[in-house]
Amino acid sequence: MLVNRADSRPINVLVVGVGGQGVIMVSKVLAQLCLEQGYEVKQSEVHGMAKRGGSVFSHIRFGARVWSPTIPEGEADVLLAMEWAEGLRWLPSLEPERGIFIADTRRIVPPFAFRNRRRGADPAYITTRPDEVLDRVAGGYAIDATREAEALGNGRAANTVLLGALSTALGFPAEDWLAVISRFVPSKTIETNRQAFHRGRTVIEAGDLPDLSAPPAAPAAAAPVATATPATDRVTWRIEPSWCKGCNVCVTICPERCLALDQRKVAVLAAPDACTGCRLCEYLCPDLAITVSDGALSVAIEGAASPQPAAADPGSRR
Amino acid sequence: MNAISAEGELRILQGNQACALGAVAAGCRFYAGYPITPSSEIAEQMARELPKVGGVFIQMEDEIASMGAVLGASMGGVKAMTATSGPGFSLKQENLGYAALAEVPCVVANVMRGGPSTGMPTRPSQGDVMQARWGTHGDHPIVVVAPASVTEVYFETVRAFNLAERLRVPVVVVFDEVIGHLLETVRLPAPGTLELVDRPWAEGSPANFRPYAETPDLVPPMARPGDGYRAHTTGLTHADTGFPTQDPAVVERMLQRLLGKLDHHRALIERAEQVATDDAEILVVAYGITARAARRAVALARARGVKAGLFRPITLWPFPETAFRAAAAHASGLLVAEMNAGQLVLEIERLVGGAKPVSRLGRIDGEPIVPAQLLAMIERMASGGETAAAGRQA
Amino acid sequence: MTAMTKIDDRFDVRSWLREALFPHFLCPGCGHGIALRALVWAFHDAGIARDRLAIVSGIGCSGRIGAYIDTNTFHVTHGRPLAYATGLKLARPDLEVVVITGDGDCLAIGGNHLIHACRRNIDLTCVMLNNEIYGMTGGQVSPTTAEDRWTTTTPAGNIEPAFDACRLAEAAGAGLVGREMTLHLPALRDLLVEGLMHPGFSFIEVISDCTEIYGRKNDLGLPAEMMLCQTGSLRPDVYTSTVDQPFRPNRLRTGVLARSDRPGYLARISRVSDR
Repeated sequence: MLVNRADSRPINVLVVGVGGQGVIMVSKVLAQLCLEQGYEVKQSEVHGMAKRGGSVFSHIRFGARVWSPTIPEGEADVLLAMEWAEGLRWLPSLEPERGIFIADTRRIVPPFAFRNRRRGADPAYITTRPDEVLDRVAGGYAIDATREAEALGNGRAANTVLLGALSTALGFPAEDWLAVISRFVPSKTIETNRQAFHRGRTVIEAGDLPDLSAPPAAPAAAAPVATATPATDRVTWRIEPSWCKGCNVCVTICPERCLALDQRKVAVLAAPDACTGCRLCEYLCPDLAITVSDGALSVAIEGAASPQPAAADPGSRR
Repeated sequence: MNAISAEGELRILQGNQACALGAVAAGCRFYAGYPITPSSEIAEQMARELPKVGGVFIQMEDEIASMGAVLGASMGGVKAMTATSGPGFSLKQENLGYAALAEVPCVVANVMRGGPSTGMPTRPSQGDVMQARWGTHGDHPIVVVAPASVTEVYFETVRAFNLAERLRVPVVVVFDEVIGHLLETVRLPAPGTLELVDRPWAEGSPANFRPYAETPDLVPPMARPGDGYRAHTTGLTHADTGFPTQDPAVVERMLQRLLGKLDHHRALIERAEQVATDDAEILVVAYGITARAARRAVALARARGVKAGLFRPITLWPFPETAFRAAAAHASGLLVAEMNAGQLVLEIERLVGGAKPVSRLGRIDGEPIVPAQLLAMIERMASGGETAAAGRQA
Repeated sequence: MTAMTKIDDRFDVRSWLREALFPHFLCPGCGHGIALRALVWAFHDAGIARDRLAIVSGIGCSGRIGAYIDTNTFHVTHGRPLAYATGLKLARPDLEVVVITGDGDCLAIGGNHLIHACRRNIDLTCVMLNNEIYGMTGGQVSPTTAEDRWTTTTPAGNIEPAFDACRLAEAAGAGLVGREMTLHLPALRDLLVEGLMHPGFSFIEVISDCTEIYGRKNDLGLPAEMMLCQTGSLRPDVYTSTVDQPFRPNRLRTGVLARSDRPGYLARISRVSDR
């Protein structure tokens, strides 16, 4: 699918995501490319909560003449969503008859989605499946850009995969895109980004898309608190998955190497038999997500929290 | 609010001294300040007075720290104030905004001197009237009162504390260097005769306590640390829980309540004096020391057959609109006199809305406005020879 | 206070947290989260009743962590928490007042308040989380940024030497000065307890890590690697290249660095009012 650049009106591309994903980098690449293709370009963005889970969006408009820097609602020719829920949130901005929706299926659940602290409560995260969304737009693709980039050896190149996908909708020559991209990425990653860009194009052009009808993986908070009882029977190891940000500190500093991150990037006690209950992981968890209790306390939990499962209610421990 | 008892002690006081004594009488038990001319006597007096009543005086390292310490003390539940002038008042603005948003009662006396910048430290001015209203960034509630005599400095300082506590807003007492250093006899109220107001305190169960709940009078009860509420106070926009939010609906509602506090309590806040306004054709609007010259000029004009009157706002912000409109009802012309290049006149012009000519007498040379200047203007206006444009002397 | 209170290893950090606000807003791997644990653990170990505790914090990543602690918390203006805390403590000597601040908040915009709080020996505990960067605003140079480091406002590398906050506090007269790193959590907790128990002004510098901005932009490694280098080679290597006054010598001095028994401000006030 290609937007019609023959019109005299500006072409509108809306890029959305959350902090730290590269929304601004993607926007700058596109804006610079359009400039070099001879268009007038306007780009306006909201950012600043970059590391704090805040949403980030950027309007890019280009054409022979562009006046307003912002895209009126319902007039985006392309909506590039680097995060799934953000994409859904911005759907009304898409031109209903011909707007193209390109979304990364990556789910970054923001902290405020977990305000309900009840165990097992649903996080306030959208449960819509990608195929349901694609039925509602004029045209679009949902790709797992992070996985594509990881397959190339660098998950951080996910935004370049998306640029590759975006390039199929805008139609400038691939070598022009790559010339601009190579100026915006660290020189040692130019080759990776070149591959990522081509991968993004191939995924769309070859229709090599993921199965969209699969139900979404359960977000972190919906999972019960994970507990594990190491073989020593002296300690209980617990994690609050929704608090864990996957920084890997516990995995690295564990003297027994018994921790790991699971596929959701949440710490798990992978080798309970090796755990000595030293509590280093608990002490140094920057997210205060890990609790290691000794055996005596573990018994107390079971008594106090009955009929709840053991260690299900941290509030009853004292 | 301030019943004066004839039983009270008669003293000769300087305006700055009266401010300090009024504050102590109002229940102020904490003062943090920084030396600056021409307000330093307030700090010096407080340093002597507060230890006598179990209060604490501290000279901080700078103007900003003084304002911060005052708010810290007030958040601890103690009535607190600071005093400053010109440059110091500029430095206090950020934390005055904190007081407005977090609803921390406090009183700031600003003894106005010639500006801008270091200006004329020992000369009077009324050039901070707009800064007192709009000095900190963002829309915010603030009350500003402008006493015109040493006695009034005393009682308006008491009233400033009462308003600050009752409404949980910052209150600024502005007076100029002349009044600050003027010695006058003051009849102090007899002990125990002043009506004093405490802020609404949170009572009842700490469970489900919401520190910024929307109460009917728009002033939420304040949690006192140590009482078990364990509340959070922040300068970020917050929900009624006290915790930060940027939810547009919540922010809008919270700010509307904050700004609405003053409208809701206008009757309590507004105060003005009127002299011969019933039939006034030329209405002079003046405040602070300038109003005293204006009072004399009005009397002289009356003696010469000119129907002049004086409207003296004691509360400058929010401006006593209703009283002003009544006073100006019969006037054919208005004359706003102030020691600046034209500040409160903007508010008068807004209220008059072009219906009547508004003349202005300003003075920015570090000298007070004198009755003869005003009388000449009044007479020219009465003879039809004065226009608004010609009145711009400053 | 050399006699340490008994450490309760079963301390439940969550009993002191406003759990409804979690997960906290800090970046993955941020050292401030560990400092948060150390703080509440120290409050517990020092036997402070949470209703009698007041936390005053400034602006920045450090200033936001106070809100996660279930006590009386005041999040005030940038650089001014020591000024607010001074007023609060003088008005309410019955409260235990703790200031949480950062390197920018405490040493740059609030530097004046720090030296005077030290000089007065005002009865506060000031905990400065030092991550060498303005994180909240996106990574600008701070008074403790090491020389040559990249920040958004030193694109060619930092040319200014860093403050040694502990030496500054000691010279200005703080009653107790100490430094500890988040990596050594139990030692940090113990140091904080000492600070809380000390009458007069205690200044505790906590070596923390900004992993997402400072660490990433300067190739300082993954969060755990940054933290492990708090004692080891990575940071000190840079500091030794600081020509004349290395901010952190090769072996970072930690623990209690200075202590005086000079009476605190409150003790002196009461002496004056007895006169």
